[in-house]
Amino acid sequence: MTTTTEDCFTIDGKLALPYQYFAGRTSSRFIISIRDDKKIMGLKCNTCDKVFVPPRSSCEVCFEDISENWVELSNTGVVEGFTIVRYEEPHQPVKPPYITALIKLDGADTSFAHIVKGMPLSQMKKGLRVEAMFAKKTTGTIMDIDHFRPIDQGPKFELGYPYDQLEIGMFASFTKTISETDVYLFAGISGDFNPMHLNEEFAKTTPMGTRIAHGALPQCLIAPVLGMKLPGLGTIALEITTRFKAPTYFGDTITATGEVIEKLDERQWVKMGLTFTNQKMEVVATGQALVIPPPAQ
Amino acid sequence: MKEIKKNRNVGIIGVGQSVYSSHREEVNQPEMIHEAVVEALDDAGMTMADIDCVVHGNMELFEMVHQPDLWHTLGTGTLGRESLRVTTGGTTGATLVCAVDSLVASGLHDVVMAIGFEKLQEGHTTGGITNMADPLWTRKLQTGALTGMTATQIIEEFGEERAKKASMKYRITMDKHAMKNEKAHRRLGLEFDQADDMAANSPALVGELRLIHMCSQSDGACVMIFASEKKALEHCDQPAWIKDHVTVHREENFAIFGDAPVTMTHRVDAEKLFNRNGIKDPRQEIDMMEMYDPFSWWGLDWLREFLLLEGDEHLKMVENGEIAIDGEFPVNPSGGVIASNPIGATAMVRVAEAAMQIMGRAKEHQVAKEVNTALASGFGGTMWTVLVLLTKDAPRL
Repeated sequence: MTTTTEDCFTIDGKLALPYQYFAGRTSSRFIISIRDDKKIMGLKCNTCDKVFVPPRSSCEVCFEDISENWVELSNTGVVEGFTIVRYEEPHQPVKPPYITALIKLDGADTSFAHIVKGMPLSQMKKGLRVEAMFAKKTTGTIMDIDHFRPIDQGPKFELGYPYDQLEIGMFASFTKTISETDVYLFAGISGDFNPMHLNEEFAKTTPMGTRIAHGALPQCLIAPVLGMKLPGLGTIALEITTRFKAPTYFGDTITATGEVIEKLDERQWVKMGLTFTNQKMEVVATGQALVIPPPAQ
Repeated sequence: MKEIKKNRNVGIIGVGQSVYSSHREEVNQPEMIHEAVVEALDDAGMTMADIDCVVHGNMELFEMVHQPDLWHTLGTGTLGRESLRVTTGGTTGATLVCAVDSLVASGLHDVVMAIGFEKLQEGHTTGGITNMADPLWTRKLQTGALTGMTATQIIEEFGEERAKKASMKYRITMDKHAMKNEKAHRRLGLEFDQADDMAANSPALVGELRLIHMCSQSDGACVMIFASEKKALEHCDQPAWIKDHVTVHREENFAIFGDAPVTMTHRVDAEKLFNRNGIKDPRQEIDMMEMYDPFSWWGLDWLREFLLLEGDEHLKMVENGEIAIDGEFPVNPSGGVIASNPIGATAMVRVAEAAMQIMGRAKEHQVAKEVNTALASGFGGTMWTVLVLLTKDAPRL
């Protein structure tokens, strides 16, 4: 038996079926508050204590009228499930590929479907926290929420080690070559135009025999260590003391190292030992710092 | 004629209807149905907890919603209950009644709620109907209820003047009934002296079928609650009992270029029902009828078929006011299909309205005479007829 259609008719349908349906008063109020107030509202059943969104006039569980029990929901929620639409159809709200997700808004007990943008398709995941982005140009439809976008999960800035995470012996350092330019800029910044730093002929007459950097220039290299590495962002420096042991010449590469040497539990402050060395591993300065570490996040 | 066996009696104990209208924009589908559900439960003195099963029906494709019963759970209270969906086109509402009668009579369920609905303002009815036409079946033309053939036949048989007058008399009688029914959709307030003017000036649809003769497109829902005899008597002083129902249908292939006699399913159905129930003179033994009358020409013509009349008896019934609400054989005191036509509910509304007459709950449009036996019909494509016979006294099994 052959199943080919060589001698069998095909009848083509020719109907396009445009149609409409009415959201009704309750669902329309839901759309209006999105359009006019940028607020997503849910309806609460007082018997089973559930909040429904999208809205429904009656609770199908308790079978009672809930059409007036409006509660304002957060515009943020969590993705409970999603799919990635890759095929193209004329009726789609946006051009594929796009993410359709079931989003459970904070304060709601049901989830509703909308589009998630701003997330690479390959990284889309359940549990993603999202927020509603409202349309600039309203149409009086559910698309007055234009889409949901991921909320950055992490804090805006990642602070350094809080007191509890700091241990005696932890250390960090910063290294930089001190150039002639650094010294001249530093002179301008500090107003210290001492010929020791700026006048080679004068410097030849001193025990150093040539120009040297201001003492505070290598010393200040500890600032990126304390403020950006250990303890790190959010650290407040209370005190820095330095003892200079050797000069820093132009072109020297200075390493500033900070080490946790004492934890002051009562105040939650930290004492740091400071060491400044050059490329020849000579110690150019030593010191101590007292800092307040950043708060825990 | 094969006897039917009924395990136990089934009574109608509650009816609820939404308001019928061309525009129900303030509610969505489950909300509109919910109105009728709440009213029916109230009418039966029940809550959703008393309902064992929900049977839901509408005309397939008319709302362009796939499996509407699932969405409608929001308004029907079906969550966690037994449920069925029935869809048989225009007869859906009547078929729902037959299906529920079977469910309750069989003993499968004690109390069953039936829901018929349609929101014709939504969806795409022409799409639904036109898809019935298939060039490879015999079903070539019978697509929906717009046909001028019956008008032509009545005019040929009884003369233009009498035919047109009778058709308009039928139409205006229906409007006068609709004026008494607060749920009805089209309540135009017509007077009999407007008949000639409207017959001449109403827009023609097909031949002598004019817009004024035609049924409406309505949004609405009808809900009925059926109970086993024991349960019915616990909850209701006067249930409307289902005595019997008969369904007849055939695939139609209209012979539009010839005068091939058409055997009407209406007459076949009526003959079978009356024979089975020992009814010799339906006009005397039945007190009133709620007829599925898609337009006034059909209403007129089908009186003859349903009541097994000969000659011009059916015209006389209309001309003499016999079918009026205070007449000897009231037809459609609700205003009928011409007034309200939410298709999936329409055929059920016929049964519901007939039941209300028996129960004495039709309020403003309660017929003048006492109703002990009532007949309700459903109609749909193609040539599909359902008749339901209701009684005031519980049938003897």
